[in-house]
Amino acid sequence: MELAILIIVLVVCLAIGVPVAFSLLAASIACFLSLDLPLIVVFQRMAAGVSVFTLMAIPFFIFAGDLMYRSGIAERLVQVAEAAFGRARGGLGPVNVGASTLFGAVSGSAIASASAMGSTLMPLMKERGYDGDYMVNVTVTGAIVGLLIPPSHNMIIYSAASGIGVSIGDLFLAGIVPGVLTAILLMVVAWRVAAARGYARGSFPGWPVFARALVFAIPGLMTAIIIMGGILSGIFTATESSAVAVIYTVIVGALVYRTLGWTRFSQAAMQSVKITAMVLLIIGAATAFGYALAILEAPAQLASLITAATDNPILVLLIINLILLVLGTFMDMSPLIVITTPILLPVVMQVGVDPVHFGIIMMLNLGIGLVTPPVGSVLFVGAAVGKVPVEQAVKTIWPFYCALIVALFFVTFMPALSLTLPNLF
Amino acid sequence: MTRALARLTRASADFLVKASAVGLVLMTLIVGWQVFGRYVLNSSPSWSEQAALTLMIWYVSLAAAAGVREGFHIRIVALENAVGPRAKRALRIASDLVVAGCGLAMAVWGAQLVARTWEHTIPSLGIPRGLAYAGLPIAGVLIALYALERLLEEAEGETVEDEEDPRWS
Repeated sequence: MELAILIIVLVVCLAIGVPVAFSLLAASIACFLSLDLPLIVVFQRMAAGVSVFTLMAIPFFIFAGDLMYRSGIAERLVQVAEAAFGRARGGLGPVNVGASTLFGAVSGSAIASASAMGSTLMPLMKERGYDGDYMVNVTVTGAIVGLLIPPSHNMIIYSAASGIGVSIGDLFLAGIVPGVLTAILLMVVAWRVAAARGYARGSFPGWPVFARALVFAIPGLMTAIIIMGGILSGIFTATESSAVAVIYTVIVGALVYRTLGWTRFSQAAMQSVKITAMVLLIIGAATAFGYALAILEAPAQLASLITAATDNPILVLLIINLILLVLGTFMDMSPLIVITTPILLPVVMQVGVDPVHFGIIMMLNLGIGLVTPPVGSVLFVGAAVGKVPVEQAVKTIWPFYCALIVALFFVTFMPALSLTLPNLF
Repeated sequence: MTRALARLTRASADFLVKASAVGLVLMTLIVGWQVFGRYVLNSSPSWSEQAALTLMIWYVSLAAAAGVREGFHIRIVALENAVGPRAKRALRIASDLVVAGCGLAMAVWGAQLVARTWEHTIPSLGIPRGLAYAGLPIAGVLIALYALERLLEEAEGETVEDEEDPRWS
């Protein structure tokens, strides 16, 4: 009964357009009222949910990515990718995916990637006769790769939500191969679709342009190396390395690129603080919501339901992937990580799945949810930047969905893709 | 009357975002100082991590409140876009009411939380834990005010614009 109240209030609030964070909060409050429990606990859980040291890396990653974006890195990354893949027929499709992958090493935000790639590449694609739906399809699915390529703040949320301190360094390393694999699959699809539609062949911009772009892009891509190197060598914690990355980015933007002035810096700080507030409010509210679920013993019931059905790890992972894919179409990524990780992680660990491996499955799976209607924030941003109606864009997106699902299959059933790199270090 | 109120709330939300941005920059410097202290001065400050976290809880609370006024919190607009203007207005008013209710609850029970944790001192900082959480009830009051102000505007038939392009996830 109380579970029904919790779910119904949540769904109704979401449907009428209450912001996600307040929908979660309202549902938790309603549930506590109906259980006659003190409401102070809701806010105590909420405060505890954000008072986590590792979460401090989130504002820093967002800030560093935003600063890099405002310093003009996106254009250079596009030039690098264009030199590499631009000559093929319909080459701007694979170029888009390649540039998104590189951008993923600068920023862990799929929405940032979709709007950065959209605003730099879409005008160029339009000029060369690419259709609007194709532009949006490539841009939004390519943006998902950035969730797997480190740094990725969603992995920080997963690590915090796991409750067992899954290593952030391991998660970051584990994301690299699945990220590259997903990028390759998307590139092949982007290239085949573009060739079938007969889009123009690009031209090689010439070695000098390529060299200039590469030289320009390298200081920007160093951010990722500082973060990874700092964490892996144990010199910095994840939080420290991300703060150092911010300071480094300011120095590079102001002194090397000379594009980062006071105005852009303060814009970046304000934009980052808004995004941070939005993400952390959702994490806090989702923590309270997860606590309400736990009081109602819903996680235990779901867990026993799954384990009663089967103890075959392949089937368990299949079932969980399906559940997450369905939830992902309706809900955004970060609240789902906070709510479902404490429920699903014990289940998969019971059948012998590594928590790092499961984290990567979750990133890709919930990432797919960001580009599927009815609720897909990345899809919506991409469509808005491309000025293409969402309905039109999704009509032709299925080959790209197929690539993502195939990638998810590989990532789910070949743990070595995720676990080989972390085991090396 | 509502016009003047709208101007006031907009200015205050703008101020909150700017103050929060200063908080973010300060937090960066604190953690940067912690690294500098450890590797250059050979003594890492004991207060830095907790101070940065406290700062973050504060600026997140304030910026989250500003987000209600500026409309940057992520939400689902599918239904709103599918219905006519009158139903849309009704949906928005209902949504503002829910948000205002949440803000009110956050103000009341958040204040209780602050009072309960006031005796508990954060060791490395020497300040009450309640002070770290005090941003919560303050944000609650602001959220309720901002939501009610939006509601007034909606009720008068003005369209309240949301900020576009929430770049996150």
